[in-house]
Amino acid sequence: MSTSKSASYVPGGRRINWQKVAVILAFGIVPLALLIIFTYVPFAKMIQFSFYNMSYTKNKGFVGWQNYLRVFGKSEYVGAMLLSLYYMAGAVVQLSLALFFASILSLEKIRGAGFFKSAMFFPFLVNGIAIGYIFKFFYTRGFVLDTVLQAVGIPLESLPYWLRDQSINNWSLVFTSLWKYCGQNMILFIGAIASIDPTLYEAATIDGANRWQQFLHIILPGIKTVFMLNLILSITGSLSAFEPAYVVAGMGANGTATFFIKIHQMAHVSGKVGQACAMAMVLMVLILIFTAGQRLFFRFAMKDSDNTFSAKSNKAKALW
Amino acid sequence: MKKLLALALCALLAISCFAFASAEEELPTFDQIVLGENTDLAADIHFVYHRTDLAGDDGKLAGYVKQFQETYPNINIEYELITDFAENALLRIGNNDWTIMGIPTVDKDELPNYFIPLGSLETLDGLYNFMSSWAYDGTCYGIPSTAAAQGVLYNKRIFQEAGVTELPKTPDEFIAALKLVKENTDAIPLYTNYAAGWTMGAWDAYIGVAATGKAEYMNQEFLHAKDPFTPNEDGTGPAAVYKILYDAVANGLIEEDYSTTDWEGCKPMLNNGEIATMVLGSWAFTQMRDAEGGEHPEDVGYMAFPITIDGKQYAPAGGDYNFGINVQATYEQKLASMYYLKWLTEESGFSYSEGGLPIAKDGEYPDLYAAFEGIDMVSDADALPGEETLLSELNSESELNFNAGGNTKVQAIVEHAFNGDESFEDIMAEWNQAWSDAQESLGVEVNE
Amino acid sequence: MANNTTSVTASNTSARVKRGVIKFLEYFALIFASFVALLPIISSFMISFKTNAEYASTNAMTPPQNWLNFENYRQVWVDGDMLRAFLTSFSVVVVVVIVSVMMGSMLAYVLNRFAFPGNNLIRNLFMIATLIPGIAMQVTTYQIMKNFGLLNSIVGYMILMSGTDVISIYIFLQFFENLNVALDESAVLEGCTYFGVFFKILLPLTKPAIVTVAVLKGVGVYNEYYNANLYLQSNTWRTISTALYSFSGPFKSSYNIICAGVLLTLIPSLLIFLFFQKQVYAGLANGAVKG
Repeated sequence: MSTSKSASYVPGGRRINWQKVAVILAFGIVPLALLIIFTYVPFAKMIQFSFYNMSYTKNKGFVGWQNYLRVFGKSEYVGAMLLSLYYMAGAVVQLSLALFFASILSLEKIRGAGFFKSAMFFPFLVNGIAIGYIFKFFYTRGFVLDTVLQAVGIPLESLPYWLRDQSINNWSLVFTSLWKYCGQNMILFIGAIASIDPTLYEAATIDGANRWQQFLHIILPGIKTVFMLNLILSITGSLSAFEPAYVVAGMGANGTATFFIKIHQMAHVSGKVGQACAMAMVLMVLILIFTAGQRLFFRFAMKDSDNTFSAKSNKAKALW
Repeated sequence: MKKLLALALCALLAISCFAFASAEEELPTFDQIVLGENTDLAADIHFVYHRTDLAGDDGKLAGYVKQFQETYPNINIEYELITDFAENALLRIGNNDWTIMGIPTVDKDELPNYFIPLGSLETLDGLYNFMSSWAYDGTCYGIPSTAAAQGVLYNKRIFQEAGVTELPKTPDEFIAALKLVKENTDAIPLYTNYAAGWTMGAWDAYIGVAATGKAEYMNQEFLHAKDPFTPNEDGTGPAAVYKILYDAVANGLIEEDYSTTDWEGCKPMLNNGEIATMVLGSWAFTQMRDAEGGEHPEDVGYMAFPITIDGKQYAPAGGDYNFGINVQATYEQKLASMYYLKWLTEESGFSYSEGGLPIAKDGEYPDLYAAFEGIDMVSDADALPGEETLLSELNSESELNFNAGGNTKVQAIVEHAFNGDESFEDIMAEWNQAWSDAQESLGVEVNE
Repeated sequence: MANNTTSVTASNTSARVKRGVIKFLEYFALIFASFVALLPIISSFMISFKTNAEYASTNAMTPPQNWLNFENYRQVWVDGDMLRAFLTSFSVVVVVVIVSVMMGSMLAYVLNRFAFPGNNLIRNLFMIATLIPGIAMQVTTYQIMKNFGLLNSIVGYMILMSGTDVISIYIFLQFFENLNVALDESAVLEGCTYFGVFFKILLPLTKPAIVTVAVLKGVGVYNEYYNANLYLQSNTWRTISTALYSFSGPFKSSYNIICAGVLLTLIPSLLIFLFFQKQVYAGLANGAVKG
């Protein structure tokens, strides 16, 4: 008995149950094989390649830690890493907004709630390449965004060039990410709020608690798990952010190239597979450190929710 | 030792081929063929080629055959046009089921095994352009079908309105012309097409022939050059190419918002005179001229890249497929093929009507190259034996990727020039450093 | 007394005014957010009906002269070979969703219902896999795909999209843990085989989990472009992402036509969303909460 949960059918005593073996093999082999081929083999190879000077076709030999030293030696890469700070800030804003709208839509009787939900959620369904086109047009001088801002009285001359000016273009990109994911986060929070026992609100109202107090004492504790989970995922996701810079800014042009885009270019433009693998390893270690660090922090910060940050929390990863 | 042996073997093979050919009857060389002679020559020619768009009984190729047969009624030419020519030709190259073929990508030392020699490179080079691409050991084995050269797109009317009376020939003249455009017209002097990316990588095409005037530069000297990006005083060399871009940006001679340029939108803009210049290959010319919404196709012009070396301008150019004649064909077939190819090259106007450069030195230039007369068209020489992959290795190692998708480095020039946060000299110094490091790590010998 | 009443009414009124202001602000925020969310899409929608000349001469936010000008759509549909792209994308979505559902549910069944040596090991392998960011391994995955000869192959792309999926296995594992074992025990006692138990009894019960996986995978795969760009570069197997991407390039289309392409790709998402809104929301929420 290797697991505790599965004491179900052992009718034949110790005799080997061939039907059981058949079912285990038939159902288990394909997913396991795919897991090994597409996760563990690439992972092992990634570790191995990161110590070699190699391209897709040629291996020029073992170089030790040289690839790793180059990652930290070049200010270009450190700068690319730092870009994720923009995305982290964006993630915090995004989750706060999502929580704000989720609370309004859950607590208040809002007319047209269905419409607001759909409208805010819909960007999540838009194809990434389409987002690239849409926002390039959105940000072009004198086009959509500028027209709208001019309509509310801001003169064009005082507006920045949203994608050209390096002081603002990363924020423009962060906004596209917020635009896409905020509604989806909101739906998750609405789902979590819905699972809170409704009698709690009634009790609170009788006690004279206002909306803010309800939010603070009922909603927040009730969805803490989901919120923190998404916060961890968003912040971790910020480290490997690439989508907006890849599709909107054209492969990270004009100082928007995140670390992931640097990896992509290293591997697919310069063909330096070994170097790219070392960069990917660095990225992975960073992500692991961040994940572990945040978990420790939250465990420390809210001792009552230990169990919620078990390994299973990666469920929502697909959303990123 | 191995190289020597291989060389000896090749020589032996070549000699035996010549010996075999001369055993029959000596073939004239391509330059000795005189059109109009030998009109009773009779042979069947099987011509294998890739231009399926020219096929059919009333297609262009059939028309050429008819014209040729007016002088040589007994030479029959049958075209076989193949869609996946490159692969198919390689499979059939050793057969005897063709007479003339577009030479596919074979190793040069194998040329004598499949194709008859057309004459010495020295002689033919004086008569025709781009003869070196399929020459081996001083002998030519093919003659180009058509050819193209690279330069700069410009709007003739805007240049005129701006007061640019003579096409700029040097970087300084070019920047001066852009300034005139800015002062005297509403056009964008130079449209970078920054956002598309590949349009920026297109600048790499000029660092060889156009910037140095040397056929050997790109694939040979460049690999061994010490600090190739150090700017020259006289406005030549690879750095001069990028300096033009840097200066244009730094002087505000480009579009206002380079981060959202629209490739499709730029075509009618050049056509209509809203853009004065764009640095792109000759393939882009027809797109600009025929752009939807473009009302002045006649204003679209093409000029040589503005760098002058010792008083001369050079344009990087290259031949399309070269025609070669099967070494296994009969004597009559070979001779008849030579007459046909000579006629195709000198009298048919084939390259001209396909919008290509003239192959014969005195040939006519299509409109596209009207401004290219007097400019030397040079194609890049191949890499030296043993160094065939060195450029791509240096590209990868240095991460600069010249002519290989290295768009970001050129985009960075625009950014730095615009933001004024790095001088041109510093950018070039970085490139030099990357190039030197790559040379060092690959153990490349560096010529001081 | 009178004083007292007025003060109560006054405080009532001020409370009501306060509530009104808050309500107003809430609606304002919601309307503003919806406007921001829809603005980029609406602008693309308007442009997609403009002619080339109109696009060149009018402002981005000017409505088109003719809302029934479907010329751009026709052009995209024909020149962009969008029908083929849609068929390819739909096939990929259907295959990947089915494969993910089958693999996820089968493996979860085996892991949850049977004790066998290696059970824990396999669980751990899947758990650790979630910690490795897949995005970091794209370089070596590319090499593996290359070695298997799966570049530019639709089958290769399908395998990759279903093979790198750990999430659906988790969702099913979670679900099976809440399915009563008594169900299958009684079936086994009645002589049903394990295969029979799984397909006839358990699989139909996992419908909510299937919906969740279908939503998560379906949306993800339909809109996937990074791998599609990397692994499906030939014209034969264009997904809607690569078809859209191909509109930008040396010989490509102008923006009003691209917008028509963008809107076309949105139609299936929009229809499915409108008809299955509840399931989509529920699917998403389940995927996140249960974990």
